[in-house]
Amino acid sequence: MASLTDHLSDLVEDADAALLFSPTSSFHDRFVDDGGGDDPDVVVVAPDNDVDAEVFVELPLPFDNVKDRIRFGIEGAMDADLVAEGDAVVCIASVFDGGSDAVVRVTADETIHTGIYDLFVNSRAEPSVIRDVFEVAIELGKKGQKGKPVGALFVVGDAGKVMNKSRPLSYNPFEKSHVHVGDPIVNVMLKEFSRLDGAFVVSDSGKIVSAYRYLEPGAEGVDIPKGLGARHMAGGAITRDTNATAIVLSESDGLVRAFKAGELVLEIDPEEY
Amino acid sequence: MSTVTSALAGAVAAVPDRLWLALFVLAFGLVAAYVVGVINRRLLTRAGIPEVIEGTAFERTAREFDTSTVHILAQLSSYFIVAVTVIVALTVADVNYLEQFWSGVAAFLPRVFVAVIVLIVGIVVGDKAELLVAERLRGIKLPELGVFPPLVKYSVVYVAALVALGQVGVQTLALVVLLAAFALAIVLFAALATKDLVASAAAGVFLLLRQPYGVGDEVRVAGERGIVQEVDLFVTRIEADGEEHVLPNHSVFRDGIVLIRE
Repeated sequence: MASLTDHLSDLVEDADAALLFSPTSSFHDRFVDDGGGDDPDVVVVAPDNDVDAEVFVELPLPFDNVKDRIRFGIEGAMDADLVAEGDAVVCIASVFDGGSDAVVRVTADETIHTGIYDLFVNSRAEPSVIRDVFEVAIELGKKGQKGKPVGALFVVGDAGKVMNKSRPLSYNPFEKSHVHVGDPIVNVMLKEFSRLDGAFVVSDSGKIVSAYRYLEPGAEGVDIPKGLGARHMAGGAITRDTNATAIVLSESDGLVRAFKAGELVLEIDPEEY
Repeated sequence: MSTVTSALAGAVAAVPDRLWLALFVLAFGLVAAYVVGVINRRLLTRAGIPEVIEGTAFERTAREFDTSTVHILAQLSSYFIVAVTVIVALTVADVNYLEQFWSGVAAFLPRVFVAVIVLIVGIVVGDKAELLVAERLRGIKLPELGVFPPLVKYSVVYVAALVALGQVGVQTLALVVLLAAFALAIVLFAALATKDLVASAAAGVFLLLRQPYGVGDEVRVAGERGIVQEVDLFVTRIEADGEEHVLPNHSVFRDGIVLIRE
């Protein structure tokens, strides 16, 4: 058993920071109370700051995939200058349901920087709105519309400008309605309307402004990977012209992609959630 | 043997009918009290009262004495019936002494019963209200807000105490005046503090229902020109050249809206 303990102490040796993912408060208290001079900084990464931690990074999505969760946590910590590039970070997370059961050592560097943290936290729209739209897109990608794969394009935030850079394809089904994403019934509505052509426009606070929008951004200078279709091109281009974020569900490969400032910032497979 | 039996029969016959009736009433009353107590406890439990009042101070205190609020309420109804039964039995048995006293008590008893129930319900509801308000305010980390939950609690308890005192016939006029002054102060402060908010909300309802302008329209409101980004109940957000103006809806309504069409 000695080698196991040795291995564990090797893992945590000289760590610059410790990231606790969704710790229970007693677990967190144990960490903070022991805090001597040499101990690494403790950063709590969780959906809500339930443990009243001093240093806290918000986790807007639960991220079933531990790799993504850790990546997001480290990006958040780097963004808040809690972790510098090249730091050794020890993450304590829960892989299976239940308490913290895994210790992972990661070196923070550029490869870990995927832009996902930036997408949630530094977008114009509220993180919870982006998360809700993501959830709709992911669910739609998983189940499709009545079993068939569908594509969808959501433009989130900066709705006024987006509306001015687009035109209606038909009557707006959300005209004079005041519904917000995240409401279970509205999510069903969105899924039903996903068979309509065009984009959904969602405001900063999550209000669904319109469906059936034909986006008319200037497409020059938009750099998105080759092989993606018109829907992705339109989504990418609108984010270059406005401060919006575009969340696109591909009909052909079923991936959910997010665009910001004309660039692809995130690509996730709905099946993994 | 036969002498004993006849003596017993004589003794039984000697007891007046009234007394038998009184005994019967007493027995019936005791059974009724027990049954009502049990039914009440079941009803309250079935209605989910224990879960609703879980964690209130009254319930916690009750627990300390190895009982519970539901238990206390059920027992109270039992005791009330027992007391009424005793009085009725005494009346039937024609126990003449202190008649005045008993009739006074008989009239007074239901009131005391109602007063106690009102007081208990008031305290429990006050506790619950305090918990709910505290829960609501927990998201807002502001120490000054700690004043509100107890305020809500004591207001409810105060009203309950007033009703209870009124039931037992205590003069509560002065206390009612105090309550009125307190309520007036709250209403006045609330009206002053939320005057603009209420006006904005009223205008916001109109704006949301009729939508004279929607997201994406270019408008000029209160001297600010720009593209509407968001309309909610209280404010309209208008953006122009990287500046976002957050305008209260009442000013939108007061100053009018200019829709700009190229």
